[in-house]
Amino acid sequence: MTRHMKETDLALYASGDLRLWQRAAVHLHVRQCESCRGIVEEFRADGRALRDAAAALPEGLDWARLSAEMTANIRVGLAAGECVAPRGHARRFIPALWRPVALASVVTVVLAALLVGGWWLNMPSQETQALSRAMRSIWHGRSVMQEDRGPVIEASSEGIELRKDGGALGVSQDSAKLMTVSVSTQGSASADYVDQDTGQVTITSVYAQ
Amino acid sequence: MRSKFFILAVTGTIAAIAQTPGRKIDFPADSPVTAVSSDWSETRETPRGGAYLLDVHAVLSLRNSSQRRIRGVTLAVLAQEVTPGGKGSVSVPSLDVAPGEAFPLRIDLPLLCPLNAGGPMVEVKLDGVLFDDLTFYGSDKLHSRRTMTVWELEARRDRKYFKTLLETAGADGLQKEILNCLELQRDRPSTGVQMVRGRSTNNDPEHELKFAFLHMPESPVDPTGGSARIAGNEARAPQIDIQNRSDRVVKHFEMGWIVKDQQGREFLAASIPSDVNLAPGKSSQVTQDSSLRFSERTLIGSMTGFVSSAEYSDGSFWIPSRAALNDPKLRTLIAPSPEEQRLLQIYHKKGLGGLIAELKKF
Repeated sequence: MTRHMKETDLALYASGDLRLWQRAAVHLHVRQCESCRGIVEEFRADGRALRDAAAALPEGLDWARLSAEMTANIRVGLAAGECVAPRGHARRFIPALWRPVALASVVTVVLAALLVGGWWLNMPSQETQALSRAMRSIWHGRSVMQEDRGPVIEASSEGIELRKDGGALGVSQDSAKLMTVSVSTQGSASADYVDQDTGQVTITSVYAQ
Repeated sequence: MRSKFFILAVTGTIAAIAQTPGRKIDFPADSPVTAVSSDWSETRETPRGGAYLLDVHAVLSLRNSSQRRIRGVTLAVLAQEVTPGGKGSVSVPSLDVAPGEAFPLRIDLPLLCPLNAGGPMVEVKLDGVLFDDLTFYGSDKLHSRRTMTVWELEARRDRKYFKTLLETAGADGLQKEILNCLELQRDRPSTGVQMVRGRSTNNDPEHELKFAFLHMPESPVDPTGGSARIAGNEARAPQIDIQNRSDRVVKHFEMGWIVKDQQGREFLAASIPSDVNLAPGKSSQVTQDSSLRFSERTLIGSMTGFVSSAEYSDGSFWIPSRAALNDPKLRTLIAPSPEEQRLLQIYHKKGLGGLIAELKKF
């Protein structure tokens, strides 16, 4: 047992004012920690002494007036504390109405992170690129590209690819150097690769026929 | 219990990754090339989201079982179940394979296909073989006779050009020209382009843009006009008016399409092949129902077309001469022929002596 509970938690535990989920943790700790158990016993003893002292107050004390003055003093203290407290402390006083909104925001952020992570790990790059293009079009205020109904043939510095009906046929050669790519309007694309050692040229093509 | 589940999960993953797709090499019985061996061991199939990433890597060893020298081979790679209607091909031009000799052919095909019960199937078929006398064998479903013949004619043209240069200007002159070609190859501009068949794909406003033309000397086909509809970074439905100025019927021609964007950058965007039946002196118009789409930063400013090859009805071809290709505009934009690429790589690897030795083989 290397770390002890905070005294405030022990005090609230001793008076029975600690929240349920904290109470269980403190209870387990106090059962095993002699030092903390001793503090709890002291708080309980102080509580009993206070209750005894209150019972022994003089007769004729105006409890209603005393209670009103104490309440007023507490409110003045709280207001003064808010005035001088750093701005970050204001977060502690989130109105109860806003707590569900804050909770919903946190849940939304977590779900969005899971969704983006899942998309990043699982979705084919073509789908990601299509979504990216659509988002860029929306951002720049242009008309959104409609989904291509026919086959799409693409040639770039990375190779050539045919996409149709959710499938894709790509061509690349790891061991050879890509020299040129070309596209034909009749529905094909070609890429020329040269073997670095032999100079043999291999031309790969895809056809949307 | 947890460890058993983990072992099952790991075993299942390894099994899924190690599974190889169905594959088939299907050559006709009288094929002039035969498959001696094939190595598919590097082929991998990996589940990825709701799809399979099928990475086909194969090396075939083919033997010339005919009595003639082979100049080119085209294999069709069919993945019909993967991409309905989609086909791929692998061609090897600039070959010089004697009867009985073997040669390697690599197939590298990344496929992305939906998950299904049977798994994807890849089939390799022979589309065509071109011999040194320009005769052809094969089903020619991918028009490989035309493309391989043009490559072979370009190879002969370019070898002749470099050999003539060697004879007239010596080794230094040849080296100077090779270095010039390497520089052009390095500096040639390129851009990503998508070709979409069918209707247009965005709603941007469009306008008509007329083609300019580079007139190639001795070309049997003369372009007289043409235009395409432009919408931002997309050019749609090109149409070209042509006239046959030769004395033979032209049945096919191909045009190169150069695009200049609004920043002044020029690049070879695409080729426009067209089947025609054009008698001597007659005119016609060809239209293609397709769109070219460039990157979003490429806003099309102007377009230029030039005839890059033509086929006559008797099966013979016309290609531009080296002199015609030395046009200042074309020289920086047109890709070198496969044979020029091969020769440049030989120079790069073996030096001037290796290149001269290679030129002397033919």
